[in-house]
Formats: sequence, C-alpha cells, structure tokens
Amino acid sequence: MVILESGYAFWNPIIWVIALATVMILALYFRSRGQKNYKKGTAQTKIFLCGEDVPEPELGHIKASNVYWGFLETLKDYYYAILKPQTGIINDLALWFVLLLAIGAIVILATGAGAVAK
Amino acid sequence: MNLTAFKRALWVYHLNTGSCNGCDIEILAALTPRYDVERFGIRLVGTPRHADVLLVTGPVIKQMVPRLRRIYEQTPDPKAVLVIGSCGSEGGVFYESYNLAGPIDQIIPVDVYIPGCPPRPEAIIEGVAKAWVKLEMVQKQGGK
Repeated sequence: MVILESGYAFWNPIIWVIALATVMILALYFRSRGQKNYKKGTAQTKIFLCGEDVPEPELGHIKASNVYWGFLETLKDYYYAILKPQTGIINDLALWFVLLLAIGAIVILATGAGAVAK
Repeated sequence: MNLTAFKRALWVYHLNTGSCNGCDIEILAALTPRYDVERFGIRLVGTPRHADVLLVTGPVIKQMVPRLRRIYEQTPDPKAVLVIGSCGSEGGVFYESYNLAGPIDQIIPVDVYIPGCPPRPEAIIEGVAKAWVKLEMVQKQGGK
C-alpha cells in the first residue's frame, strides 16, 4: 500500500475508503428516517416544479438556447423577421451591406449631416 | 395543547394563488424575531412534498387552479390546509371577479380559515396551532 505524504497532508487509500463508507452509512441512515407513508403512484411521489406539470423525461428536451427563451419570446416578431433574410450566402450578405451603405449615404446626404464636415 | 401523536416539528408550505402580498408579508412577520414561530418547530419549507400544512393565500385566479390542485395532491398525508386572509376565504375585495376560480374551498378541502385583510401574525400562529391539533387527531386515529 502506498501512503503519500507531502509535509502538509497525506493520502491513504484505506482512510479514504473508511471515510466514504461512513458517509454512505450516514446517508442511508438519514434516508431510512424519512417519511414512508408517501402514496406510490400518486402525485405525492412526483417531482415538484412549482406546481407545474413535469413532462416525461423522453418528452422533455431542453436545449442550451432555452436560456434565451424569454428574450426570444419578447422579441420574436423582430427576431423571426430578421431571421428570414439570413440565407448564409456571402453574395446576399454583400448585397445587404451595399444596400444598408446606400441607405446610410442617403440619410446622411438628405439630413445635411455631410455639410458639417465641410 | 398537549401533543402526543404528532411528535415531529411542523413544516409548512406557503402558496400564493394571486394574493396582493399583504397576507404573505404577515406570514413572514410570523417568522421574524418578534413572533419567531420557528421556536415551536414551525418552519417554512420549499416544497409541498416535505410539508405537513399548506398555507394558502389569495383568491385563486383561474390560471392557478391546476397548480393549486397539483400542490395539494403532492403534499403527503396526513395534511392540513390553512386559508389565510379574506380573499382566500370568500373572495374579499375580488368577490365574484371575472378572473377568479376561488375561493380556495371551491378547489381543495380547507381545514382552517383565518379571516382578515391581512390577518395579524398572532391569528396566523393560532390557525397553524389549530391545524396542528387536526393533524394530531388524524394521527391518533391512524388515518392518512
């Protein structure tokens, strides 16, 4: 058996196993002291989720994007509208860039903002 | 009050079904050092699955009906239900409002009513003690 010592602490696998067994025995003891009169097959044994109905695990699919659910729900009209032109084709992106640049130029010229630069 | 059958501490779960928070503040007041119900072993828990008593406030808006039923069903037996405040007892200022399904006893069985808008913490503590006596009686009869 290898006992590692570093001057500050030591590592002994036997002590580790004893500590683990002690914790497990204590956990099982506390578990055995719990309520036993839950009615099986009723809502009493189901998961509590603030009163909401918990779907079956195979029906529940939570994606990472669910973190943004509230954000997307609030802005969904805007979000889905701007999602449609997103084709992923570089030509379309360049076209959008040119289009927005042209609109920006028209706004600058129309409002006379360019005059300040003179 | 001499408890012989129900020997453990009393754990309560608080549910707001659309209350204005007045009653909920009074429940919290009962837990503050001035009243300190925890010295009697009465404490709030975060899930009805650990609770002996349900403290229900509010007039029960329609959206809360399935939640209220589910939470009642999830509370292990024996259990007691306390209605705190006028709204939960008979609708209060929201009496016969279009968006209400309550009062609470229309949806789940109620054991103790604590009227008031809101009731004082002393009244809430007395109500909880009455619920405790009910649980004691049920336990003595060996009922669930």
